[in-house]
Amino acid sequence: MKITVDRNLCDGNGVCMGIAPDVFDIDDDLTLHIADEIPDDPEVHAQVRQSVTSCPVLALTLVE
Amino acid sequence: MSVAGDTSQTIVVAGGSLAGHTVVAELDRRGFTGDVVWVRGPEGTAPYSRPALSKELIQGKVTRDTIRLPVPERYGLRLRVLDHAVCARLDPDADRVLVTRTAGAGEEWIPFDALFVCTGMRARVPAAFTGLPGVHCLRTLADAERIKERLAGRPRTVVVGAGLIGSEMAASLRSCGLPVELVVQGRLPMEPVFGAELGRFCLDRHHAHGVTTRLGATVTGLSAAGPRGPVTLTYDDGERTSADLVVLGLGAVTSCDWLDGGGLDLSDGLGCDAALRTARPNVFAAGDVANWWHPVFGRRMRVEHWSNASAQARHAVESWSAAQEGREPAPFADVPYFWSDQYGLKYQMVGHAHGHDEVRVERTGADGHPFVTYFRAGRVVAAAGVNAPRAVMRMKARIQSEGMTTQGVYAG
Ligand SMILES: Cc1cc2nc3c(=O)[nH]c(=O)nc-3n(C[C@H](O)[C@H](O)[C@H](O)COP(=O)(O)OP(=O)(O)OC[C@H]3O[C@@H](n4cnc5c(N)ncnc54)[C@H](O)[C@@H]3O)c2cc1C
Ligand code: SF4
Repeated sequence: MKITVDRNLCDGNGVCMGIAPDVFDIDDDLTLHIADEIPDDPEVHAQVRQSVTSCPVLALTLVE
Repeated sequence: MSVAGDTSQTIVVAGGSLAGHTVVAELDRRGFTGDVVWVRGPEGTAPYSRPALSKELIQGKVTRDTIRLPVPERYGLRLRVLDHAVCARLDPDADRVLVTRTAGAGEEWIPFDALFVCTGMRARVPAAFTGLPGVHCLRTLADAERIKERLAGRPRTVVVGAGLIGSEMAASLRSCGLPVELVVQGRLPMEPVFGAELGRFCLDRHHAHGVTTRLGATVTGLSAAGPRGPVTLTYDDGERTSADLVVLGLGAVTSCDWLDGGGLDLSDGLGCDAALRTARPNVFAAGDVANWWHPVFGRRMRVEHWSNASAQARHAVESWSAAQEGREPAPFADVPYFWSDQYGLKYQMVGHAHGHDEVRVERTGADGHPFVTYFRAGRVVAAAGVNAPRAVMRMKARIQSEGMTTQGVYAG
């Protein structure tokens, strides 16, 4: 599982981080950081999928 | 995930914005094999990001093409899309809706096995303020493009109403360098949502950027001198001013009058249980229109924010799927969240501050922006901050988990 973010779209609101804190992190200058390795845990994968569909500006894409 | 339904079923989805779009996408993801009829409403546009209207679109940073939600062509569903068409009536005695065309003529009754009501809201505009040249509300892409078209003439603008949309519009227009006056009905902008501390902060930002404000004022009359002429505003204290452009941010009303007589609870939006099921077992609701029982806060609520619409849409499909399989669906328990962008600052709020009895204000980040935590009976019920996404999202997780482990504690 791999995630890409469109930096032109991402506005750093942190919704993804709220859902999958092990994968997404956000600075207070609103820059998104994505973990290099996504833990091989079904629960985390489910969180990541939910993050992708919950991103309010649709900046995340999942490459399974 | 369960694959649901059979080929003989028909699902009608009413509403062509985020909630309706997400219901269709979720049925597709689950591999629904029946027919889907998607009645997208009067707007005649593919679904788009409404939040972008008062932010990036007005400021010219995006266009109608770049704010589209992913298009339905990619779906594997047996999908019939009806644009310029509305659900006009729900038959009280049979599972069918009357669909009428808003452009051209024609109507048809469409029978359904399940109906998802995602008809959201429309702008609240007093009858006396309707149809005046130079006076605009902002709910749809067409509204935003009409306003945008006026901006080329560099109008002196008065924004009436300082809720989220009014406040955001004032900021966006000011960021375009236009002269803006903001009429605040209460004491402070956004105060009913955010409380006094952030309301004061917001007011100061407007002033720092050169917006003039009129506090505690109500516009009682509007009149236009002609198609391009100035608009005269009359206030409750009798004063009159004029503007080239007036933007109304007076809130919104739910679009569920079409369900009248259909045997559903329409006292504030469309009433549902905790799992988003209405009084009719095969009718579900999601998004701005849905009034449901929130298990974390122990009360009914309706949430008029973006993320809620997509999360509820997915949940409503899950509740439908559970019914198909004879399972009991889970309650929809997401903690509400929204954001607002003004002058390059991101305001964010999580939770439900209604009935809070205590607030705590801290300063966060290098700029010392206020971060407000709202308590009720000693427990955190909401939090709001400026450019503090990490702290806000941490609070979201906390309210969610504490609320779910102590259900009912927030009730009342
Ligand atoms: C300018 C603006 C800025 C916003 N900014 C933010 C923000 O920053 N953050 C945030 O969280 N939220 C924001 N919101 C709120 C957010 O856009 C809404 O919560 C969201 O659009 C709700 O989606 P929905 O699908 O429930 O309803 P709506 O978006 O209201 O869509 C309802 C749909 O139903 C259609 N319809 C209406 N009647 C019928 C009928 N009888 N039959 C069929 N179709 C019908 C309509 O045409 C429309 O397509 C903003 C809203 C606006 C207007
Ligand atoms: S939810 Fe979307 S916009 Fe928000 S931080 Fe994550 S990727 Fe960026």
